[in-house]
Order: sequence, then C-alpha cells, then structure tokens
Amino acid sequence: MTTSASARTFTEKIGLLSEVALFAGLSDADLQAIGHATTMTHCARGQQILSPDDPPDRIHIIKKGRVRAYRMTPDGKQLTLDIFEKGTILGDMSLLGQSRLPEAYAEAIDDGVICTITPDQLRRLIERYPIVGVNIIRHLAARLQGAERELEAMAYQRVDQRLARRLIDLAERFGISTARGTLIQARLTQQELAEMIGTTRETLAHTLSDFRRAGLLDVARHQVTIRNAERLAQMADGE
Amino acid sequence: MPTTESSVPIVSASEVPTVSAAQMADVDRLAIEDFGITLLQMMEQAGSHLAEVVHLELGGDLTDHVVIVAVGPGNNGGGGLVAARHLANRGARVRVVLSRPALRMTKAGQHQLATLIAMGTSCCVATFDLADDELRDALAGADMIVDAILGYRLHGAPRGEEERLIGFVVGARRPVVSLDVPSGMDPDTGEASGSAVQARATLTLALPKPGLLTVEGAGRSGRLYLGDLGLPAPIYTALGVDAGLPFASGRLVLLDRGA
Repeated sequence: MTTSASARTFTEKIGLLSEVALFAGLSDADLQAIGHATTMTHCARGQQILSPDDPPDRIHIIKKGRVRAYRMTPDGKQLTLDIFEKGTILGDMSLLGQSRLPEAYAEAIDDGVICTITPDQLRRLIERYPIVGVNIIRHLAARLQGAERELEAMAYQRVDQRLARRLIDLAERFGISTARGTLIQARLTQQELAEMIGTTRETLAHTLSDFRRAGLLDVARHQVTIRNAERLAQMADGE
Repeated sequence: MPTTESSVPIVSASEVPTVSAAQMADVDRLAIEDFGITLLQMMEQAGSHLAEVVHLELGGDLTDHVVIVAVGPGNNGGGGLVAARHLANRGARVRVVLSRPALRMTKAGQHQLATLIAMGTSCCVATFDLADDELRDALAGADMIVDAILGYRLHGAPRGEEERLIGFVVGARRPVVSLDVPSGMDPDTGEASGSAVQARATLTLALPKPGLLTVEGAGRSGRLYLGDLGLPAPIYTALGVDAGLPFASGRLVLLDRGA
C-alpha cells in the first residue's frame, strides 16, 4: 500500500470514527489517537463477524449495516438470538457488566462496517477520555429503553404509530435541521424501513403516502424530511 | 388404553365467573406481588395443562405425532415452550417455531427456551432460521399445531412478526390448540380485528375470559378447557370476584357452554 493510500484510509477511518456515538464529543486530535487503537473492517453480507472460537478479547461496534447473532442448536441448526443494528456494541463487555453471549456466532445481514477494539484499549480510552465512558452509559441506557419499547410496540401498536415512533428515533439519531424540517440523513429503502417496523413494503408505502398527504413529511431519494415533528410525536403516542 | 376428552370433568360455563383481560392482569400482578408466586410457577402449570389438552385432542396418544409449537415473545409463548418440553417427554415429535429472535422473549420465556435447547428439542425463529416455504411445509405436515403466539393482553389486531406467524398457522389448515385465547382474538369480546387463529380447542387459564363465551369467540376457540394455575383464592376475594370452586372435580376441566 502506498503512503498516500494509507493516509486516505486513515482519514476515512477517522471520518467513520467521528460518527460512532461512543466517540462523540472528542476533538480531531483525540480521534486520531483513537484511530491508531481501533480497526475498521468492511464486511460483506453473510460474512461471519464473531464465533465462539474467537479469543474473548475483542469488542465490535456496528458502524453500518445489520448483524444477526445466532447459536447452533444440538440438532445442528441455527437459532437466531437477536438482530443488531448500527451503534450496537458486540463482544465481551465484562468491563461494562455485560457478558458475551455464550456460544454465539454473528454474521452481517447487509454489507457493513465494523469498528473493533480490545477491552484493554477501551479501558485505557475511558481513563484518558472520560467522555467515552459517559457515552457508553448513554448508549446502554438507550438500548435498554429501546428494547422494552420496541417489544411492546411491535405486538400492540398500529403501523402508523410504529412508523411515527421509528421516524422520531431515526431523526434523533441521524437528523439535521434544514429549512424544510428535520432531514433524516440515512438512506433507507422502503423494504428496510418496513422490516424495521415489522410490516410489508406495501403497507409501509401506503402509510408513508398518508403521512405525506397530511403534511407530516416529505420523501425524496430514499431520504425522509420530517415537516411536522409535533404531530408525528402525537401519532407515535396513539393520539 | 387411549382416553378421550370424556375423561375430563365437565363443568357448566354458567357456573364459572369470567374475568376480563384487565382483571386477569390484576390477578397476575397480585399473585406475583402479594403472594410470591413466580412467573415460572404459573408458566409450568399452564404448559403442563396445555400438553395434556394436546394429548386429549390427539385421541390420547402422543407417540410419534408431529406437534409444531408456535411461540410468541411474551409469557403466553413461555407457556407454549413448557408444553413443548412435556410433549417431547411424552413421545411427541416436537418442533418449536418462535416469532422473534430468542433474546426478544421475556426472561421467563428465555429460561424455558434454554431448557428446550439443552434437551435437544428443535427450535428455530420464523423468517430468520426457516424459509417461508419450509415453514409452510412443516406446519402442513403437523398432526397438531399449538398456538402460543399471543395471550389475553392483546387488544387490537396483531402486528409484526406475530401477525406473520399467525398467518402461517391459519394458512396451514391443521388442527390447532390455543393457549388462553386463540391468537388475534380479543379476550373481552371474542372479536378479531385482524388475522386470528381458528382453534379446535382452547385451554384458558385460572378463569375464562368473557370473549370465549360470546357466539363469535366460541366459534373461534372451539372446545374450551379451563386449567388451574394454583393461584391463592384470596386474590379473587381482593378483586371482588366470587371464583367459586371450578376445580373441585379436577385441575383440568372442560367447560360446557350449553346450547
């Protein structure tokens, strides 16, 4: 690899690191220091990310794409344990009181990017940059709250409620203010959005049209702009 | 010698009070908070009765019968998992199909699932571990489907992965035994505002839910069994329900709805 290519790769890595919630609030110089301590891997759909045979000394943060965790059952078949999305931390988290899933494998469902770090490196980072520790606490608290809310929503809420709730979540994570409203800076196909809220693409398209007609949002080039956040929040609450 | 459902005591439904879904939620809460009954205890009772109902509905012989247990993420699903263990122990060829990834189940449900996996029972998640065609074929080849997808807490139409699994169960057109209420049926009215299971028989727990006794609910739930969860009688007194002694003749009874 030439020096300029290495430099480009490193710059890209710093760019990706700056988007990892764990490293929010750090300066460019700090991110560069962290860049040397982490590995950023592009993985293809179906690629294995974790296996029970791996040494238990790696933490993976999903930067892009979804990951399916599964284990093998005694009859030699796969049993899906969970589906993880962008921002999820996988691996041995004993440092944070969260143990590694026993006998778990993990594979990419989509083409994605995974940031890898060892627990020792993470511990050193927390000591040097306490904001990383604060970000981890925020992350775990949000994950717990989100899991409880999602379980209830999927079984008992209407599609429009679930879509409104999911769009609000996405806007909080990826939204930027524009003259027309809050633009969700994540390109999502209707199929992906439908899967997130557990419905069909057809139902999703229909519900998005209803939202658009009601002036709640605009959709252009796979990106959603929320135009009436207040009304959307009311819909999410079933009002 | 095979037995039939006639070996189960028959009790007139008119002699047993009903409890609404809201009242049943209070019963569960008081049992846990005031009497120290655990969810696992209740789940074990529910699941062992459910296995017995499947045994009765298969003519008193489980040996080598194929039973698919369709399981939702809540505690109703946990009861289904307990039934799967009892059915496997009693000779049935059991396969468990979950609507959601294993870690999306309640803690008590995950506990039951871990036991099943350890004993080698086939468990998989619809959509992720089983192609739709494979799931259709498996359900079509079942001698009995156990419906433990959604319980009495449902209001409104089922959604998401549960709606999807209900669709597969309905499409299979095989005999179904439902736990507590047929999935998708409103426990208070017996109506279904979306996809709902059509059961050959339903095992309801503790006291029947009113929807099971309406004309529509009776048609949807089939033969109605009532199973004892062993809950302390003072719970009902505290809630102002005169429960009587529905299990005086046996811990599993058949409710006669009358004409």
